[in-house]
Amino acid sequence: MREAHPGLPDFDYVRPADLEEASRFLAQNPQTARPFMGGTDTFVRLRDGFWKETRYLVDVKNLDGRSEITFDPQKGLTVGAAVSMNQVVANPRVGSHYSLLAQAAHRVASYQLRTRATLVGNVCNASPAGDTLGACLLFGGVLRVHGVEGFRDEPLASFFQGPGRTALKPGDIVTAIRFPLPVPGSVGHYEKLGRNLLSDLAIVGVTVLGHPDSSTASGYRFHLALASVGPVPVVLPDLLTQAPVTPEALEEAAGQAMESCHPIDDVRGSARYRKLMVRNLSRRALTRVWEGLQSGYRGE
Amino acid sequence: MDTVETTTPRPHQENAAPRPVGESVTRLDAHEKVTGEAVFADDLQFGPNMLYARIKRSPHPHARILKIDASQALALPGVKTVVTGQSTPGFIGLYLKDRHIFCTDRARFVGDPVAGVAAVTEEIAERALDLIHVEYEVLPPVLDPEDGVRPDAELLHPELGSYEVANFIFPQPGTNIPNLFKIRKGDVDQALSEAAAVVHHTFRVPHVQHVPIEPHVAIAKVDERGRVTLWGSSQSPFAQRNLIASALGISQADLEVVAPYVGGGFGCKAGVSMEALAVAIAMQVRGRPVKLRLTREEEFYTTFVRQGLVAHFTMACDAEGNLTAMDNKFYWDGGAYAEYGVNMTRGAGYSSSGPYDVPNVRTDSFCVYTNHPVGGPMRGFGQPEMQCGLEQCINHLALEIGMDPMDFRRRNCVKEGSNLVTGMKMHATGIGECIEKAAEAIGWGHKDPPSAPHKRRGKGIAAMWKAPAMSPNAGSSAWIEMSEDGKCTLGLGGQELGQGTFTVMAQMAAATLGIPYDWVRIASPVDTKYSPYEWQTVASRLTWSMGNAVVAAAKDARRQILELVARSWEETPEDLDIVNGNVISAKSGRSSSLKGLVVYGLAKPGDQGWIGGPILGRGSFMPTYVTGLDPETGQGQRAVVHYTTGAQAVEVEVDLETGRVQVLRGASAFDMGKAINPDLVNVQMEGGLVQGISTALFECLQLKDGVVRNPSFVDYRIATSADAPRDMQSIIVEVPQDDGPFGARGVGEHSMVPTMPAIANAIHDALGIHPGAPPFTAEKVYLAMVDAGLVK
Amino acid sequence: MAHHKISVTVNGSVESVDVPSNMTLLTMLREKLGLTGTKNGCTAGECGACTVFLNGEPVNSCLVLAVECDGAEVRTVESLARNGQLDPIQQSVIDHNAVQCGFCTPGVLISARALLDRNPDPTEEEIRDALVGNLCRCTGYIRILDAVKDAARVGAAPGTGGSR
Ligand SMILES: Cc1cc2nc3c(=O)[nH]c(=O)nc-3n(C[C@H](O)[C@H](O)[C@H](O)COP(=O)(O)OP(=O)(O)OC[C@H]3O[C@@H](n4cnc5c(N)ncnc54)[C@H](O)[C@@H]3O)c2cc1C
Ligand code: FES
Ligand code: FES
Repeated sequence: MREAHPGLPDFDYVRPADLEEASRFLAQNPQTARPFMGGTDTFVRLRDGFWKETRYLVDVKNLDGRSEITFDPQKGLTVGAAVSMNQVVANPRVGSHYSLLAQAAHRVASYQLRTRATLVGNVCNASPAGDTLGACLLFGGVLRVHGVEGFRDEPLASFFQGPGRTALKPGDIVTAIRFPLPVPGSVGHYEKLGRNLLSDLAIVGVTVLGHPDSSTASGYRFHLALASVGPVPVVLPDLLTQAPVTPEALEEAAGQAMESCHPIDDVRGSARYRKLMVRNLSRRALTRVWEGLQSGYRGE
Repeated sequence: MDTVETTTPRPHQENAAPRPVGESVTRLDAHEKVTGEAVFADDLQFGPNMLYARIKRSPHPHARILKIDASQALALPGVKTVVTGQSTPGFIGLYLKDRHIFCTDRARFVGDPVAGVAAVTEEIAERALDLIHVEYEVLPPVLDPEDGVRPDAELLHPELGSYEVANFIFPQPGTNIPNLFKIRKGDVDQALSEAAAVVHHTFRVPHVQHVPIEPHVAIAKVDERGRVTLWGSSQSPFAQRNLIASALGISQADLEVVAPYVGGGFGCKAGVSMEALAVAIAMQVRGRPVKLRLTREEEFYTTFVRQGLVAHFTMACDAEGNLTAMDNKFYWDGGAYAEYGVNMTRGAGYSSSGPYDVPNVRTDSFCVYTNHPVGGPMRGFGQPEMQCGLEQCINHLALEIGMDPMDFRRRNCVKEGSNLVTGMKMHATGIGECIEKAAEAIGWGHKDPPSAPHKRRGKGIAAMWKAPAMSPNAGSSAWIEMSEDGKCTLGLGGQELGQGTFTVMAQMAAATLGIPYDWVRIASPVDTKYSPYEWQTVASRLTWSMGNAVVAAAKDARRQILELVARSWEETPEDLDIVNGNVISAKSGRSSSLKGLVVYGLAKPGDQGWIGGPILGRGSFMPTYVTGLDPETGQGQRAVVHYTTGAQAVEVEVDLETGRVQVLRGASAFDMGKAINPDLVNVQMEGGLVQGISTALFECLQLKDGVVRNPSFVDYRIATSADAPRDMQSIIVEVPQDDGPFGARGVGEHSMVPTMPAIANAIHDALGIHPGAPPFTAEKVYLAMVDAGLVK
Repeated sequence: MAHHKISVTVNGSVESVDVPSNMTLLTMLREKLGLTGTKNGCTAGECGACTVFLNGEPVNSCLVLAVECDGAEVRTVESLARNGQLDPIQQSVIDHNAVQCGFCTPGVLISARALLDRNPDPTEEEIRDALVGNLCRCTGYIRILDAVKDAARVGAAPGTGGSR
């Protein structure tokens, strides 16, 4: 049973002067110190009585350069760690080159929550239900991480290790997430099924990104990621490359998605329903992307 | 003092109601609510002397309490007291006194209060809870009402036979049944054997929560003499005064309850839920205010729930489509303590035919103790749960004999003079009109194409009825005090929960007195020390009952004013009237403003002294005509004061790929006798419809082994701005109530009674599948489609 | 636990407040500054009753630490009306009977004002989307949506509302 407290438990708020100080402090207090950005996951977890050992909350959002979105036509997109979901949604560069990311970010919670919730926080929180994880993975996101030994890159492909568990070590602070330029002509779609129409956590989330590809027999390549159906996001890369893309082929790929996941029962839905929805929503998302690829649709 | 004569119902006056009755005037409380000035209980300021309370709760659904050791908690700096059941030995309960304020020997649900702490901060109080050590002997729990009635079931209240109980509740000592209500009318077996069609269904309706956005909060202070003041978010300040005072063995006159605006109640703030805890703790720290506010999580699992119901229906009709028999068994999951559950059991019993004329009815309605949260009243008071199944059976039966479900309802619905299940005669009612108008509003009989190939559409309708379920003699009172300039202050004890009662009362007072609406102020917050008595703000009874008291008070004030002026003008009161705040004479044409005379009286001619004095109007109302019902047959003269009736019709679209049901439009038609403020009635109908949609599609308190698994808004979903249908039509039907003010009867709760079955029937229309018990979640509907072979 | 002395502009006036690390902006407003118009319905970011403007954008004040607001600008429901003149969204909520118990209303008004500030002519879908984080158990929402639509038609009175 959830035994939530009326307020937040005791901790000290720490605001380091720079990244070095922040990493050092976090590394020196590995059990008791936590970095936070928007705090939307952090405060809720603390109040719910998880993370009982936390003594310090380290505010890492006001360190230099954390709050910008930059786009380089050669290299791609960089989203600073302190960039909020709403900023991601509203950014014109994101909208024109990575609209799938904006679409997924828009499906997180409510507007006022998205003022504070960050893209990087969503990734670092590593919830299987995280709405943006699929888009970040399919766009080939790489985290820029500052640790006690300085900067390094962490590709998302090997980042998620379990619910709430990631490749980050004590002292690590993500400063940004970078995405290479998407393959020209890419089309994406995020299909989220919640209990009510908007704002619920996903019972199932299906992210699809597809693009033309002259090297495949079908002339296309599709990638698919699933949320809420396993301890970490499930990724099915390189779908629909062999035979021509037909409704039957789309159906088959959707079936493949269903077979690839092993969801559990929880308060939001049963494993049985989840599996069926993975198939149906994968079909829906793949079809949307397929239609988009044929008509120039770029995702909404 | 004027009282409304009620033993013989008055004929309703057909002439148009005086202004502003019947007008959609602006809510009295709107301005302060949009500026943030409106004060709710948590907003009251008590200064640094205030202590904060937190409650140690049972983690077990059923356990004997062997030992409580609070010594460590008491040693924590900042902790001022720890209270356990030892200091509150008295019993508390509305209809059946079966509960202690804190558990004494047993805990009966997960969340049952075992100890309370007061400390200088909420954090310290919270920390102290971990330092209270309770030893339990875990007992086998009862987790299903049908299990609870088995002869070998674990007894949750072995002392049931010794509890104090109201005379219309029938506990069965030696069982887990705190009330059994029976109806025996006609010969059900005979009728079933002769029927042209019979349907039988069982529904397991889950628990849901009320979910007001304002959580419960109470602040109590006890002075050195033991006199208590309680501030709280409350639908029932007077019932709290009475119940808490008697549990503590103090005089009602020494307990003052102050109740500011309520941020939504829907029943969960009726009676006594957590307020007595604050009082019991404050008793130990005299002179200091003690504040207890529930977290949202506690709101979900420790306060009153809408109880679960297992309902078995057998229903029959003849070849012409006349209902001939109903055979019902209801098992209400009353929870750990009887509280309101016993009366919902009764209400479901005496309304168990639904709004239909059925010659043969047999009903057994059991309230069953379980180790679940306590069943409380929730908007509809048992009727949404009961009629959810009943109205699906009606639909099924109609289809079974090939009749349109709307025609079937119109044919069978109660009419004036119908012989109801209890033997009571039905009063005039507009239910037939409600059914027709609701159906017509959604284009009944016409099937629109779905919005996409993977969707299906359907239409459904359900009718309803509901009587105010209350003590038979629940009373109301009111006063009106005039101010120097002729405006007035209206004293009342009913609560403004958002339903608009202050506005409607001001309208009735203004209309009766003859002054403009904006001359009326409400004496708020309701305070039992200064406000006139009101039983409780429940049962949709205020417009009718408190309205009668307000009208009586206004008549009393008006009479005093007219007599005064008549004496001064040497005319008769009958020739005088008050119009728009002026006394006028039809005979002499004289006119005078109320200014001055309503407080200072009038000078006699020639400076020869004065007549009159401050005007104070008083009025009260109590129904005196409700009679008892036979415990074996449920038969009696008059079971209830009246029934409000109505119907809802909805159109839904079902997504065949996900199972998601979307309500595209809904029409509500209710007969509230007279709409005192039509737009306030409309917003009750809209709000009720959406709350009904929410319970139909999303809501379920997920109880597993007595533990609520979804005690938060993240896990317990309610309808959001995205889920409300754009197309909601509200239809007002007015067949006057003979004993209601201006012909009015209540309508607040009714608007969510038929929603669940209307949606279920629409789903059936769309898919041909009976969806059964709510919630009709996407998952439930999809899996039902899979099982029916409709989809893979 | 550490306490922090912060300076924050609340409804136009600069306040200097001593706050413990774990105090939320909501608690600071209600209990330190006595601004009780902003409500607490869940303390968990779910109901929206605590919504206020923080540096011109709406946030759940129950999910913001007071200490994070050092140097920030906060506006609550109490700031919407100026000199007895209601903000058009407040008037519109009254006119549409879009308030019942009123507990959600302060948060709804802030979300609505924020929407109109960034999008003066929102569609119904946009209004629903902007208000999805403001739970209301009473009204059934449609009146609120209509009130926002109408307020958009009237436009913001000069000098009122958020600070974008
Ligand atoms: C009511 C409510 C509804 C929600 N609905 C959704 C939803 O629909 N979909 C969804 O996906 N999520 C949802 N969430 C979860 C949450 O809002 C998102 O995960 C959000 O993106 C987290 O961002 P944040 O900046 O607030 O994270 P924070 O709480 O600041 O951090 C989250 C985690 O990441 C770590 N972290 C943060 N920043 C860094 C950093 N720079 N370096 C290293 N570690 C870091 C923290 O230590 C913490 O473990 C909801 C939350 C709430 C309270
Ligand atoms: S109190 Fe902050 S969202 Fe509910
Ligand atoms: S008006 Fe009561 S919650 Fe919205």
